[in-house]
Amino acid sequence: MTASAWLILCWLGLALLSLASVQAGNSGASTLLAAGVLLAALVKAWLIVERFMELRHAPRLWRGLLLAWPLCLAAGILLSLRGLA
Amino acid sequence: MSTSPEAQAGARRLPGDLAMWWFILAELSLFAILILVFAGAQAMSAETFAASRRLLDNSTGLALTLSLLTAGLCAALALEQVRRARPRRGAWLLLAALLSASGYVLLKLGEYRHLASRGLGLEHDNFFTLYWILTGLHFLHVLLGMLILAWMAGRCWRRAYRANDCSGLESGVLYWHMVDLVWVLLFPLVYVLN
Repeated sequence: MTASAWLILCWLGLALLSLASVQAGNSGASTLLAAGVLLAALVKAWLIVERFMELRHAPRLWRGLLLAWPLCLAAGILLSLRGLA
Repeated sequence: MSTSPEAQAGARRLPGDLAMWWFILAELSLFAILILVFAGAQAMSAETFAASRRLLDNSTGLALTLSLLTAGLCAALALEQVRRARPRRGAWLLLAALLSASGYVLLKLGEYRHLASRGLGLEHDNFFTLYWILTGLHFLHVLLGMLILAWMAGRCWRRAYRANDCSGLESGVLYWHMVDLVWVLLFPLVYVLN
């Protein structure tokens, strides 16, 4: 598969995950649904970092930093939501 | 074939300029603080945040997301074309990215106008204070990203980037992906999570 085809495939994945997030958000309010929405956001962030930003083959430090950023934020958001429950 | 750590480290390449990566890191740190402040404030006034979030249209949020992601795809494809020594195609793809980003700007301005007309401004409540600060700052980054895309499209058209020497283009495209990356976390926090 060519690099361009991979990029288009990633975009499709990003679009579908965005759509699924909105559907999940509309279907109710629970910690499980919130965790699902945040998981979708994490997968989207991973696709952007690895494929669009091309960090798959980058030095581990930069790759780790960019992958840790959404992970830390999603954990923070989930903890704040858990605090609400 | 060598498999020593030195050889593996040599094979690993950071796209773009190192200065751009430090800039991206600084920007991500700033947004991280604001996003965590939003999450913390939400934990303290849950009912206000839930009621105010319901005043936003999450289908608009989805359209904003798709506009940004499509612009990101076009920018990434443009870089791919320049690497294949097709700079003119790269320029067209950057213009397509710009067009898609313009969709985001129009939608966002429409949303801002709608909220302002209903009196849901910066001082309405904690949710909207943080909504305007967070999305407003992100909006400014989108505008800067569009300027960069337009500038890079012009340079691509003039064949200023070479297939094996396009780190300037890589850096500009990376900036746009950073804007996308921030939105990926902002979108569920502001529009979706109940």
